[in-house]
Amino acid sequence: MSTPVVHLSHIRFGSDKKPVLDNLSLDVNAGHFMGIIGPNGAGKSTLLSIIAGLNKPSAGHIDLFGKCLNQNTRLKLSKDLGYLHQAQSKQPDIPLSVYDVVAMGLSSYNTSLFRYMLRNRKQEKEQVCHALDLVEMTAHQHADFRQLSGGQQQRVRLARALVREPKLLLLDEPSAALDSRHQEKLYQLLRKLCDEKGMTVLMVEHDIAAITSYVDSVACLNKNIHYHAKKGDTIPDEVWREMYGDHVNIVAHDASCIGCAPVSHSSDHEHHHD
Amino acid sequence: MIDFLSSFFSSPVMQAAFWPALLIAVLTSSMSMMVLAHRLSFLTVGVSHASLAGLGLAVTLSLPLLPTAAITAIIIALLLAAMPNRQGINEDTGTGVLFAGSMALGVILISNANSYEVDLFGLLFGNILTVSEQDSRWITWGSLFVLLSLIMWAKSWWSMAFDMVTAKASGIATARLRLILYGVMGLTVVMCVKLAGIVLTTGLLVLPAACAWFWGRSMFSLWALSLSFSLTGTFAGLMWSYQYDWPSGAAIILMLCVLFMLSWLSSWLKQQLSEV
Repeated sequence: MSTPVVHLSHIRFGSDKKPVLDNLSLDVNAGHFMGIIGPNGAGKSTLLSIIAGLNKPSAGHIDLFGKCLNQNTRLKLSKDLGYLHQAQSKQPDIPLSVYDVVAMGLSSYNTSLFRYMLRNRKQEKEQVCHALDLVEMTAHQHADFRQLSGGQQQRVRLARALVREPKLLLLDEPSAALDSRHQEKLYQLLRKLCDEKGMTVLMVEHDIAAITSYVDSVACLNKNIHYHAKKGDTIPDEVWREMYGDHVNIVAHDASCIGCAPVSHSSDHEHHHD
Repeated sequence: MIDFLSSFFSSPVMQAAFWPALLIAVLTSSMSMMVLAHRLSFLTVGVSHASLAGLGLAVTLSLPLLPTAAITAIIIALLLAAMPNRQGINEDTGTGVLFAGSMALGVILISNANSYEVDLFGLLFGNILTVSEQDSRWITWGSLFVLLSLIMWAKSWWSMAFDMVTAKASGIATARLRLILYGVMGLTVVMCVKLAGIVLTTGLLVLPAACAWFWGRSMFSLWALSLSFSLTGTFAGLMWSYQYDWPSGAAIILMLCVLFMLSWLSSWLKQQLSEV
């Protein structure tokens, strides 16, 4: 059996009395596309930040690409990792072209000025243009990043995460600010990257209905993984209720996607999945 | 005009001030980009005022002024860099506390020193025209160190300013580089004190890049523009100072403010015309 790209074992994060994550274990194999869902405060963003090495768990063990993630290995392992965090409400006020923002994702950018001057410009241009092409932003490459709309900025950030062709891509609500057309295109792109490039994707999303047709599995998170649904699985009623209380009702599904069992009670706030 | 320029450049005082003024102009144009990008304007105010404690210590203990002030400023800047990691105190509050505390210590130390040892006006408002050979040497070595730091880490600092979280995730040692940035900022502040004084130093570390911010579209274009504004402001300010016998630091800051207004006005006009 191949080594999982992500191996989490008994992860704990936060205070002992109120842990954000508690006894969380998870394995994700190469080429796998996983959606992570859960209520607000369930620890979804924290989980991604721990895998990205931004936060250190108070207990547990993390392996990335078969190597232990710690202070000494973090910088090296991050070379194969792309990370897109939640969109910020406060935008940076730095004059930068779209091209430069994407180029920042290359390791050749964040180096001394001497080495930067000697970089392979042709290769850089190819990589940046390819990443911009993936998110359909090539036409805006010379535009000032600050002048773009929220959705366009999000697509540029995604291009920045993709530009170094990472083996592992961590996305925290990447569809925020995207219109429905670009949301669908995003999921199609991620599916393609997993299938054709063997990229492993972990994506936090709130709208499970939008992702079920594209992902290989959905992890239901609320401090730990309550249920890990694969294609054709049904997420049981009690899992939904534990995550969202009574505010759920639903769902029809087939073997190509993930669904959940119908709930008989009524609710003011309903999530419909089909 | 030619007579004036000839007299300006042949003046022994101006000749002595030329090299340190040039170095500080280059230095501030580069560091001011980082000040604006990382929103460190208040930090530079805090560190420049806090350097009075270092100057007070130097006067009281008969230590060399600039090195003692530099060490104090670097320590204070590093303390401020460490602040966000301490629960309950943010950087803004920390700057306010250290700024007031160090300034108070500096005032008490200097007030107890023999008055002839301290050029208080020079400390507060700067005077590049009284730069000694030792000061000039210090400014030269300090500038080289700051410029070398910029060559090494400017690109990473730029990435961090754009998005600290992604920069960290992509493998930049953000915690270490942030400490270095603050330390280098502390050193730069102290070197600017000789030119603009404690009160006006922030102007040197904000205005050059602020002038360029309207026009630059990349780190390098901003750098080139910031350098042009800084050199123009510094030398035009020194000429003003020479012509009208004004304090050099105030004349330079005033000239940079004029350039900022012109830059802002031209940018606004350009925008209006493009909308017509």
